[in-house]
Amino acid sequence: MSLLKLEALSKKFGDHWALKEIDFSIDEGEIVGLVGPNGAGKTTLFNLITCRHRATSGRILFANKETTLCKPHEIQKLGISRTFQSSRPFAKMSTLDNVVVGRVFGGEFHLFAQSTDIDSAKQLLELVGLAHKEQTPAGDLTLSEQRRLDLARALATQPRLLLLDEVVAGFSPVAVKQAVDLVRRVRQRGVTLFIIDHFLSLSLRVSDRLLALDHGEKVAEGRPQEVMRNREVIRAYLGMRHEDEPHGA
Amino acid sequence: MRKKETASQKAIQQQVAWAAPVLGLVLLLLLPVFARYNDYVLQVFTHALLLATLALAWNILGVSGSISLGHAAFFGAGAYTSALLSLDLGVSPWATIPLGGVLAAGIAAIMGLFCLRLRGAYFALATLAFVEIPKVITDNWDGLTRGSLGLVGLPGLPSLRLGSYHFDMSGSLVGSYYFVLGYGLVLLVLVTLLFRSNLGLALQAIREEEVAAEAIGIQVQKYRLLSLLLSAFFTGITGACYGHLIRYLEPGLVYGLHFSAIPMIFAICGGRFTILGPALAALVLYPVDQFIFHPLLPAGHEFLYGAVIILAILFMPSGVWGQLRKGHFVSIKTGSIE
Ligand SMILES: Nc1ncnc2c1ncn2[C@@H]1O[C@H](COP(=O)(O)OP(=O)(O)OP(=O)(O)O)[C@@H](O)[C@H]1O
Ligand SMILES: [Mg+2]
Repeated sequence: MSLLKLEALSKKFGDHWALKEIDFSIDEGEIVGLVGPNGAGKTTLFNLITCRHRATSGRILFANKETTLCKPHEIQKLGISRTFQSSRPFAKMSTLDNVVVGRVFGGEFHLFAQSTDIDSAKQLLELVGLAHKEQTPAGDLTLSEQRRLDLARALATQPRLLLLDEVVAGFSPVAVKQAVDLVRRVRQRGVTLFIIDHFLSLSLRVSDRLLALDHGEKVAEGRPQEVMRNREVIRAYLGMRHEDEPHGA
Repeated sequence: MRKKETASQKAIQQQVAWAAPVLGLVLLLLLPVFARYNDYVLQVFTHALLLATLALAWNILGVSGSISLGHAAFFGAGAYTSALLSLDLGVSPWATIPLGGVLAAGIAAIMGLFCLRLRGAYFALATLAFVEIPKVITDNWDGLTRGSLGLVGLPGLPSLRLGSYHFDMSGSLVGSYYFVLGYGLVLLVLVTLLFRSNLGLALQAIREEEVAAEAIGIQVQKYRLLSLLLSAFFTGITGACYGHLIRYLEPGLVYGLHFSAIPMIFAICGGRFTILGPALAALVLYPVDQFIFHPLLPAGHEFLYGAVIILAILFMPSGVWGQLRKGHFVSIKTGSIE
């Protein structure tokens, strides 16, 4: 059964189509990579799914319920969380509080944080390797630490579907490897993942399937190796528009 | 070696964070004795305490990141409500003071309708303009408010009977002083609980990153409205106390820019990301203004506030207390009083 279903989803900014008629669906438990060159419409697709932006046309269904016109906080309540391409930590709050607040508002609301909320926030910090920084203001973390904090905060809301926007951009090879492990462990928790990964360093290794976009259009979908052999995808990535130019990938 | 130093620095900071407020509290409790019951000193500190409660109340909204320049609307509405109910209907100030808060919150709900969709400077300017509405109404509804004539002969602060004890809050300056101190401490406890609660976490999250706050399920506008209403409620109570303290009111006085700007100045100088900062700034700056600058520059003593706010914005954007608490703002985890 598909968890997320996009039907002819389109988004227009001014007179520019950022997304055109995207049909796609993701099954429960899958890890799907979303690839494409800069400006392809990847982040826009996440913004539509999380209702930060409203679709120009088309429909979004999550767990068989139409969510096209929801509010961002309602989407979260239904079970979709996300990270941001440039992470958005609550800079003056402690790293731990950043995760606690995700836990509290993603789950059942209590006026005061329960010790279980704090414990599970600590476990998540452990999971992303930030346990030693729990009292550091989030704004003082390095950029890669802030990415991991973004992830921990999104996980704290206990999503069914997690959208990751460029989590490993700028990571060292070692850090990418750790992220691969991390993503697999997140999947083991029963979370379905949709991962934007411009440089493919993460999605090629963990994804069950890829969706490739270019200029707002779906150019390919399927198993990672197949998609990467697709001529359209190669061309989009190498920025080549002419048949006669060589391609080396 | 280095690590040890920073660890001990941190310990010192923690101790300052504890010792300063405790010491301050003891000083405030004993102040009438230190001041040898000097009327002027007592008056100044009573007013400083009242301004501290104003700053604390202002910061209930401030902590969510919204800078209001319209709190005089709530201050004036609270003052007039309590004054008229006690003066014309003879209701005890014990009842009319909270009612002042309720009306202020009602006005805040209307303000919220118009202003909460705005952010930053636009929000500040809209709130500044909004003050004119209750002010013009108060000024012109002569039948109810006596208009620009103002009100005189307000009943004093209410007195308290506990068994055979009778604390007269209005008859003496010392009584008034302790009344305002008591209210200030109650408000401080409430604000501490609020800021440390999950509600406080939500308000801080909204201040730091509204988009991310929304994405983790926080209903941003609902919480912004709630913080505005609570902030207005306590500002209204402070305004009501002010009326019973000085015992006369005029629209131009209680709806003046002064009561909008002063809590913002104290909050920003003291530290609007902290619980105590705004109140501490009021308790330090107002007496400095009155005891030092007023005698020196009777006409322009308020330049002090202009100077400190410029200095704070340029050199200490998180305020003096915020700077001392370096990175340890309000948190559910750290046990200290921020
Ligand atoms: N809020 C917006 N207003 C106007 N145009 C926008 C907006 N957001 C995105 N766009 C445009 O939509 C197109 C797709 O942008 P999007 O951010 O989705 O690309 P992307 O695939 O995430 O690229 P990148 O790899 O650079 O992050 C771009 O041409 C962009 O300029
Ligand atoms: Mg993007």
